[in-house]
Amino acid sequence: MDGSHPPIPGALTREQFDALQKELDAIRDEVLASRGERDARHIRFIVRLARWCAITGRSLLHFGFVPGSWVLGVAALSLAKILENMEVGHNVLHGQYDFMNDPALNSQTYEWDIVCASSNWRNYHNYLHHTHTNILGKDHDLGYGVVRVTDKQRWVPYNLFQVLWYGMLAHFFQWGVAVHDIKIDYYFKGKISWQNLKQRLRPFLHKTKHQLFKDYVLFPALALWNWPRVLLGNMTANLIRNLWTNIVIFCGHFPKGVRVYTREETKNESRGQWYVRQMQGSANIEGPRWFYVMTGHLSHQIEHHLFPDLPAHRYPDIAPRVRAICEKYGISYCSRGFFRQYGSVLSEMVRLSLPPKPVSA
Amino acid sequence: VTSLSAVWRSPWLAPFNDVNALNDLLAQVHPLWSVDRILARVVEVRAETADARTFVLRANRLWPGHRAGQHVVVELEIDGVRRHRTFSISSAPGGGREIALTVKRQPHGRVTGWMHDQLRPGMVVGLSAPRGDFTLPEPLPPRLLMIAAGSGITPVMSMLRALNARGAHPDLCLVHLSREPADAIFRNELERLARGWPQLQLRNWYSRQRGRPDMRALDALVPDAGERTTWLCGPHDFMQAVSAHWQAQGRPVPRHESFGAPLRRAGSGEQVAVRALKAERLFTVSTDLPLLQAAEAAGLQPKSGCRIGICQTCKCLKRSGVVRNLLTGAVSAEPDEQIQICISAAVSELSLDI
Repeated sequence: MDGSHPPIPGALTREQFDALQKELDAIRDEVLASRGERDARHIRFIVRLARWCAITGRSLLHFGFVPGSWVLGVAALSLAKILENMEVGHNVLHGQYDFMNDPALNSQTYEWDIVCASSNWRNYHNYLHHTHTNILGKDHDLGYGVVRVTDKQRWVPYNLFQVLWYGMLAHFFQWGVAVHDIKIDYYFKGKISWQNLKQRLRPFLHKTKHQLFKDYVLFPALALWNWPRVLLGNMTANLIRNLWTNIVIFCGHFPKGVRVYTREETKNESRGQWYVRQMQGSANIEGPRWFYVMTGHLSHQIEHHLFPDLPAHRYPDIAPRVRAICEKYGISYCSRGFFRQYGSVLSEMVRLSLPPKPVSA
Repeated sequence: VTSLSAVWRSPWLAPFNDVNALNDLLAQVHPLWSVDRILARVVEVRAETADARTFVLRANRLWPGHRAGQHVVVELEIDGVRRHRTFSISSAPGGGREIALTVKRQPHGRVTGWMHDQLRPGMVVGLSAPRGDFTLPEPLPPRLLMIAAGSGITPVMSMLRALNARGAHPDLCLVHLSREPADAIFRNELERLARGWPQLQLRNWYSRQRGRPDMRALDALVPDAGERTTWLCGPHDFMQAVSAHWQAQGRPVPRHESFGAPLRRAGSGEQVAVRALKAERLFTVSTDLPLLQAAEAAGLQPKSGCRIGICQTCKCLKRSGVVRNLLTGAVSAEPDEQIQICISAAVSELSLDI
């Protein structure tokens, strides 16, 4: 992340912010008005695809005798988990498909195949992260409390090894996500009470218990003597999913060129300024259409942050228009190919692990 | 059985007891198969009048059968959106898993219009279990009066067919209001019925010729109304007028059937009543304020987050009533829809799951 960008609140006039807001609202209204059959078909197709991948993957792990069936099984199960978590779970929990009125795709009742409880997620992701995107001290997704992601954060010696901490976070990402909303650190700092902590822990413990039981007891047990193969397969699939989601999410907010805001800068923010912060605080990854689906369309993090409740598979359609608006108002639009974007995340991480150079006089 | 279903619902059995997934897998095998949803295939569509059609449906094995006069909630998917509408069943019980719904096309009606234009034999719809107590009591009262206006004839027709089918031909007077003879749904069948049912008196009233009947005209049409047990089905205002008149005359309040509450003008600042189902509270809101504010002003603490329509934290189930989205102007009129109360205002009386 880079703090050297022109300070945007102030660079545009009030009228310009309002005009920009109108242009973005018009895009949103257009998509809202055209929501329908096409979106329903898309999400149901992905749901079925993910389900058949899971059935195939688990069958291969349980009953595969041919050499290579384990690898294929893990691949199919990983794909199932990635599709279910990202294109279905994340997007359904944002309410993108609530318009369908289908109880199977309802944001308030959907539960996803990950240790993070939907209720915890809805609070810190949908509310805290999406409302207070990239505001230091308010958006707890900034580095997930593990990585220093901007010059505006104070350097501490702990940051020297942050690439290592990051590697650990990436491997156990679903756990990082799951405990995120519990705020154990707040409890130790005395910011929240034991009662409050217990209340936050309840959905986490409930979800974790069943999720672990499913992947590490129930399915291995059903495989009888084949249990080690299934257990190891499930563990590997969860690991692959963890690494992939982590990479995608870090590409969305922490490459070079993404802006971080202070609380001061975002006081009395207008809707237009809020839009600008969302665009400056996010980054896109370019690639083919199937790649977008694999990222749950977080490849279009900028469009997602502008319109978190529009069906995500529409983001590629509106991206050129959003980009044109950015160019028109002189706002940066951070978009690169996958390897360049992730390379930028890593190199920034290394740079920020070192103490800031003293400013020469 | 209770403990068995508790075991079945246990979260330890996931993902094997994921009902949504099972239903979807079954639907891929056969469109009417489901673990718990009543699904029905349209087997016949026939025109009754220029703007009324009968849809004959054949349900799956989960259909429990209905009593004459009951209604069902029909679930249709129109352009990717599931919509629910309540219709009376017009067929008599005893048709096995086959039922008939007679639907009048509403002016500007999105759903009834779609049904008339798009719903064809072979298509599948969802059904609720049959509901309602607009039915015939056992034993039957000695003298009956049924007043049906417009499509209000549909539950009445089910009752008449049921009585006829079991050979019960009591003294029954039917006041059937419609615009003109060509608009009178089931006119031919009713006349046929009357020929084999001496004590069935048909009183047709055509509003194009005679205007809407006032209460005096209604009394003149049925001089012995006071001695009859009355069933009433038609538009909201009409039923209110008849009920009020019956009460004023000291007659028992008619059994009646109606769907929906009257609308208030949006943004008029009028007050409407909101029932908070979880909090078990009743409060009033102005039609131009967000519901969240009103609920908080009434001392409730519904979940909320961003308060600007982004985070969906305040989303709750609207059981009934109509609301308007203050950002987009979109109106939610269906029962059981999710709404964001931070950006929704009431347009009618509401029941909310908060």
